[in-house]
Amino acid sequence: MNRRVFLKQCALWTAGLTLSPPVFRLIPELWAEPRASIVSITEGTDYPALVSKVLGPLGGIQPFVKKGQRVVVKPNIGWDRSPEQGANTHPEVVKTLVRLALDAGAAQVLVFDRPCNEERRCYANSGIKKAVESLGDRRAICTYMDNRKFIPVRIAKGKSINDWEFYKEALEADCYINVPVAKHHGGAGLSLGLKNIMGVIGGFRGKIHFSLGQRIADLNTVLKPHLTVIDATRILLRNGPQGGDLKDVKILNSLIASTDIVAADAYATTLFHLKPEEIESTQAAYQLGLGEMDLKKIKVVKA
Amino acid sequence: MKKRSNKTFPLLYWRRIAQTLFLLLFLVLFRLTDYKGEDQIPYAVNIFFRLDPLVAAAAMLAARALISLLLLSLIVIGLTLILGRFFCGWFCPLGTLLDLFQTVSPLKKEKSNVRRRNWKYLLLGFILLSAFLGFPVVGYFDPFSLLVRGMTLSVDPFFNYTVGSFFDFLYRHGPSFLSQISESIYSFFKDTLLAYNQKFFYLSLLSLLILIAIFALERIERRFWCKNLCPLGGLLALLSRFSWLRGHIQTSCRGCRVCTQICRMEAIDQTGGIASADCNLCLDCLHLCPDKAISFAFKKPEQRPVPLGISRRVFIGTLSSALILPTFLKVRAETKNPDPTLIRPPGAIKENFFLDRCVRCGECMKVCINNALQPCWLEAGMEGLFSPRLVPRIGYCEFNCTLCGQVCPTGAIAKLPLKEKQKTVIGRAYFDRNRCLPYAQGTPCIVCEEHCPTPEKAIKFREALVMNPEGKMVTIKQPYILESLCIGCGICENKCPLEGKAGVLVINNPEGMVLSKIAMF
Repeated sequence: MNRRVFLKQCALWTAGLTLSPPVFRLIPELWAEPRASIVSITEGTDYPALVSKVLGPLGGIQPFVKKGQRVVVKPNIGWDRSPEQGANTHPEVVKTLVRLALDAGAAQVLVFDRPCNEERRCYANSGIKKAVESLGDRRAICTYMDNRKFIPVRIAKGKSINDWEFYKEALEADCYINVPVAKHHGGAGLSLGLKNIMGVIGGFRGKIHFSLGQRIADLNTVLKPHLTVIDATRILLRNGPQGGDLKDVKILNSLIASTDIVAADAYATTLFHLKPEEIESTQAAYQLGLGEMDLKKIKVVKA
Repeated sequence: MKKRSNKTFPLLYWRRIAQTLFLLLFLVLFRLTDYKGEDQIPYAVNIFFRLDPLVAAAAMLAARALISLLLLSLIVIGLTLILGRFFCGWFCPLGTLLDLFQTVSPLKKEKSNVRRRNWKYLLLGFILLSAFLGFPVVGYFDPFSLLVRGMTLSVDPFFNYTVGSFFDFLYRHGPSFLSQISESIYSFFKDTLLAYNQKFFYLSLLSLLILIAIFALERIERRFWCKNLCPLGGLLALLSRFSWLRGHIQTSCRGCRVCTQICRMEAIDQTGGIASADCNLCLDCLHLCPDKAISFAFKKPEQRPVPLGISRRVFIGTLSSALILPTFLKVRAETKNPDPTLIRPPGAIKENFFLDRCVRCGECMKVCINNALQPCWLEAGMEGLFSPRLVPRIGYCEFNCTLCGQVCPTGAIAKLPLKEKQKTVIGRAYFDRNRCLPYAQGTPCIVCEEHCPTPEKAIKFREALVMNPEGKMVTIKQPYILESLCIGCGICENKCPLEGKAGVLVINNPEGMVLSKIAMF
C-alpha cells in the first residue's frame, strides 16, 4: 500500500462513515417503495375455510394478531336485514375472523358497529351477535356501542373535515380488522372498506354526506385498519345500502383481503364492473396517500 | 292479636302476598313490554287491560262489536259476582300502590264524605253511555290506563334518567376502581331494572301530575280514588251488590267500632252492616276485631240491595251530558280539517273508530322501539289527548317491527303480520325544496335515500346541474319521492341532517288505516 492508496482509502472510509447514517435511514423506505400492495382474493362456498384461505398470501392471521393483544373486528351491522339480503357482513365471516384472532392468542376480541336501524334488531337479525356468542369464548364480545366512549379527535390531514368523534375502543385497539360487506350505495356509489369507518364515529353522521367521498377518506387518515377483509360472498347491486330484495343480491362467494384498504376497495370495485376512480372515496383516499388504487400496480394473488 | 297469628296464618297476610305478587307481575310485564330480540312478544304483556271489565265494556260499546281480546274480563266479572270487590283489594296494582303510600305516610284523620261515594257511578254511567255514542273518555279514568300511561310517559323515563346519570357521573368522574364496580352494577341494572334506551315523551309532566293527584287524594281519605272516583271500582261495586261472599258482624260484637275505624273502604257503617258494594275484602277487620265477631261467608244475598242514592236531578244531568257531548265532536274543526301531521301507528283503524277504541293506555308508546309513538296533545282534538301518534323527528317506524299492534289490548291498532305491516301506508313523505339541501343549497346529501327501507326505494334521485351558493355549477343528486312506494315510516324525516325542521316531511294518509272496525277479530 503506498501513500496515495492509503490516503484514498482513508478518504473513502471517512466519506463512507460520514454518509452512511443518512443513507441507512433512507434504506427502509427505498426498499418499501417498490413493494406492491398485495390483494388476496379467493372463492368458495365454505365461508369459514374461505377466511383462512384468503389470509394465506398475507401470512395468515399471525402477522396481525399477537398474543395478549386487544383486537377489534369491525363488521358492517348497519341494517335490520338478514344475512341473505346482503346489507351486513356475513356472520360466518365475522365469526371465523374472531375465532382466528382468539386462536392467535388475543386477550380480547371486540365486535361492534353503530347501526342505522335500531341496534338490537340489527345485531340480532344480521346474525352476527349470535354467531360471535356461539363461539362460547368469554374473550369474544359482540357489544353495543356505548355513547360515552366517543372522543373528539383532530383530523390533521383532513381536507374537508378536521374534527370528529371516534370510538375509543376502536382507536385503542392493538389490532383493528376491518370487515365490510361490498354493496351498492346511492350516495357513495359503493360501500366498501373505507366507508365502513362510518360505524366507529359518533356525532350526527348525516353531515358527513355533504362531501361524502372526501370526508370518508379524511376519517380514514385517523384510523388505519391493520387488515381489511371485504366480504363479497354476496353483493348488493341495487337499492343499497340497505337493500331488502333478494333480486338485488348477487352471490359471488368471494373474499378480498389486504393490508392496503385502498387497494382492497379498488379491486372490489371491479366486482361491480366499475373503475376505482369512479368511487370518490377511493380516489380521495389515494390522493391522501392512504394506499394504492392503480390496478396495474396492485398485486392480486389468488389464494 | 299476636297470640292468634301464632295459631293460624291470618287471611290478611294472604291478601298482602297476593297484592305484592300482582304488583310485581304488573311491574315485570311493564318491563317486558319491549323488544327482547324476538319479533313477537311471547308474553301477554297487556293482560291487565284484557282482564279489565271497564275497558272491555267501553271498547265494545264504542266498537259495537265483540272484541275477542277482551273476553278475558268475563273472568273478573264472574269472580266479582261470587267474591265481591276482591279485584280492588287483592289484585289492582293501583290499589296496592295506594295502600303502600298509606303505609309510608299514614293519614291521621279522614275527612270523609259519604256523598262522594256516588261520583264513581255517575262517572261510570257517563263513560259507558258516551262511549256508545262515540265520545271516548274511558282512558282518562280507567285505573290501568292511568297507571301504565303515567309510568310509561313519566315515571319510567325519569327513573331511567336518574339512575343513568348517577352511574354516568361515577363513570366520568369517579376513580377507576370505583367506576369499574359501578359499571358492572350498571350493566346488571340495564339488563333487569332499566329500560333499554332513555325515552323522551311529550306530556310527561302532565302524566306525572295526574298520577300525583291520585296519590294526593289519599291525604283526604284512604283509597279516595277507589271509593269515590274509580269507574272500574264503580262497575265492580255494582256487581258486588249481588255477590255471595259477604262479611257479617255477629252478636258477639260488643260495639267497640274498631272495624269502622280501620276499614280503608269505609264499608262498615255505625249500625254494624258491611256494605258489599264497598268492601274490597282486605280482611283487616277480620284480623283486628278484638271480639272476633266478624266473619266472611258465602250466602245468597237475601234482601234487595240498598239504593245507590243518586238524586234524579244528578242522574238526568249526567245522562244528558253524555248524550249531548258526542254531538260536539261533529262540529269541531278537526272533523272538517284533520291535522295532516297526525300519523297513527301502522294498523290503526280509521280515525273515528280508532279514537273510540283506544283506551290511552300507553302500551304502544311503551313498546315502540324507536320512541316514535308519542301521546297527542290537541292534534286529534281534545278527546284525542294521550292517543298515540308517530313523531318522525323523534323516532321513525321500524320497517320490520310489529310490536305496537301486538300489545294493543283493544285492537285499536290491529295486529298485522309483518308482510302486511310493511305495506301499510301510514303517511307519505314530501320534500320541502326550500330546505332540502340539494335543492336549496346545492349541497350533496341524499341521506334520506340511503335510509329508505322499502326494497325498491320510495326515495330516488336524479342528477341535476345547479348553481351552488358560491356561484359554481355543480352536478348534484336531487331526491324525489315515488308516492306509490312510500309507506310513511318517517325514517327520511328522522335522519335528515338538517337541524330543526327536516327537508323531507311526512303527512298522514287516512286511506292507509285499516278500514273495517271489526277487521281485527
